[in-house]
Amino acid sequence: MKSNLKPLIRLGNTTPKECDVTPEAFFLNRRQFIRSALAAGLFSSPIAALADFNFSPNSTYRPNLKLTDSEHALNYNNFYELGTDKSDPPRYADRLITDNWQVRIEGECAKPQTFDMDDLLAFDQEERIYRFRCVEGWSMVVPWIGFPLSKLLDKVEPTSKAKYVEFISILDRENLPGQRFDILNWPYREGLRMDEAMHPLTLMTTGLYGKPLQNQNGAPIRLIVPWKYGFKSAKSIVTIRLTDKQPVSSWMAAAPSEYGFYSNVNPDVSHPRWSQAKERPLGSFFKQKTLLFNGYADEVASLYKGMDLKKNY
Amino acid sequence: MPLFIKLFIVSLICALPAGLLTFDLLTDNLGANPVETLEHTTGDWTIYFLLLTLSITPIQKLFSPKWWLPMHLTRRVLGLSAFVYALLHLAIYFVFDMSVDLNEALTDIAERPFILIGMLALFLLIPLAITSTQGWQRRLKRHWQTLHKLVYLITFLGILHYALLVKADLFMPLLYMTLFGILMLMRQFKLPRLR
Repeated sequence: MKSNLKPLIRLGNTTPKECDVTPEAFFLNRRQFIRSALAAGLFSSPIAALADFNFSPNSTYRPNLKLTDSEHALNYNNFYELGTDKSDPPRYADRLITDNWQVRIEGECAKPQTFDMDDLLAFDQEERIYRFRCVEGWSMVVPWIGFPLSKLLDKVEPTSKAKYVEFISILDRENLPGQRFDILNWPYREGLRMDEAMHPLTLMTTGLYGKPLQNQNGAPIRLIVPWKYGFKSAKSIVTIRLTDKQPVSSWMAAAPSEYGFYSNVNPDVSHPRWSQAKERPLGSFFKQKTLLFNGYADEVASLYKGMDLKKNY
Repeated sequence: MPLFIKLFIVSLICALPAGLLTFDLLTDNLGANPVETLEHTTGDWTIYFLLLTLSITPIQKLFSPKWWLPMHLTRRVLGLSAFVYALLHLAIYFVFDMSVDLNEALTDIAERPFILIGMLALFLLIPLAITSTQGWQRRLKRHWQTLHKLVYLITFLGILHYALLVKADLFMPLLYMTLFGILMLMRQFKLPRLR
């Protein structure tokens, strides 16, 4: 859409992006236009995903738990790309540019390919209420919206050599304030074993509290692995790589004695800084007992049969 | 103005951060993790007050100011404030993190060096707080100063306690450590009188 307004004054000769010059009202009108055009059957269906954020609650994952106040989940974030203080991510959320987002899936698979957000939102989006436990000893209960990672991986047809999955988050040193310092080895990397990645609980997440993901929560798409500490759930993912070797996550590289590859929630294995026996739900003054595998032991304990969880922390 | 009123006013100013924190506590404004806010704020102020206490001597050397509240009293109030904030810090940890369970606290101290170091710093502050009065100063004579030089070690341990707690971004503890280093160096060298 051609704006009839004067372009904004800019420093340097950076090319303005469309969203920079289009007033929000025009932008919204455009969406409105697409919606009415859709209703009239003028466009084919993929654009529907962009115009609407549709999801349905999955009744299997609706535990009888009190939801964390959305204010807390939206304003208390660990997202070092936007800063190390918990209040930095919401404060600098606008520095994360999510336009034309694509997720590339590559490595040990028959059909490596690139998905854009429309492709990803074309998967049935379901709402699941999960417990979320941070390694720092706080926790929350939040309604995520997304789809099982297995559905996405099936599309690329992993080969028999695909033993692990590596997740790589956004690298944008120019815009992301936290990436100006080498606090972690950017881009943020995380990994799962193939069977963990294919587990039905493992969710590619696009929304939270009924809305598309906010930037501070890892927009436009992140991972959620509810039985592991929060840092395993990489945010703002751009690459998913299937490998035959165990990936080295950013936290493992930063402090191998503190952060292992598995990082399963385990009250019996303490971190050098935090006992993991208890956790404090956000908004609460007092702690409660932490559950093995964050309460998902029935579903996931079999993945680790015969493994020493103290060694494989 | 009588001295005790000046003393009262300076103490009141030092109590201001705790007052604000209490206000936030009562109005439910401590954020998503209220205990963490309480712990971090009281810990930060302990370090600020320790560094302020250590700044008095260099300030005197450089500027020889006319102290509104006599220098030794200003320093005493700042030092005692550090102690009070450290006590609050410990109390919050013991009540909300350790659920008032001494066994749990002892296990935590044994397992985590940064907790041990923090405790050590706080316990070393106790004799300094007790002997902060003029009566004790007179009784201990020259030993008083030797004893109170412990504050150098205490400040170092306090900042180390913070540095060991941080997950990845060491900027703030390193900044405090640098300030501490500068304040210590200023004691080693003869400084020019700037005023």
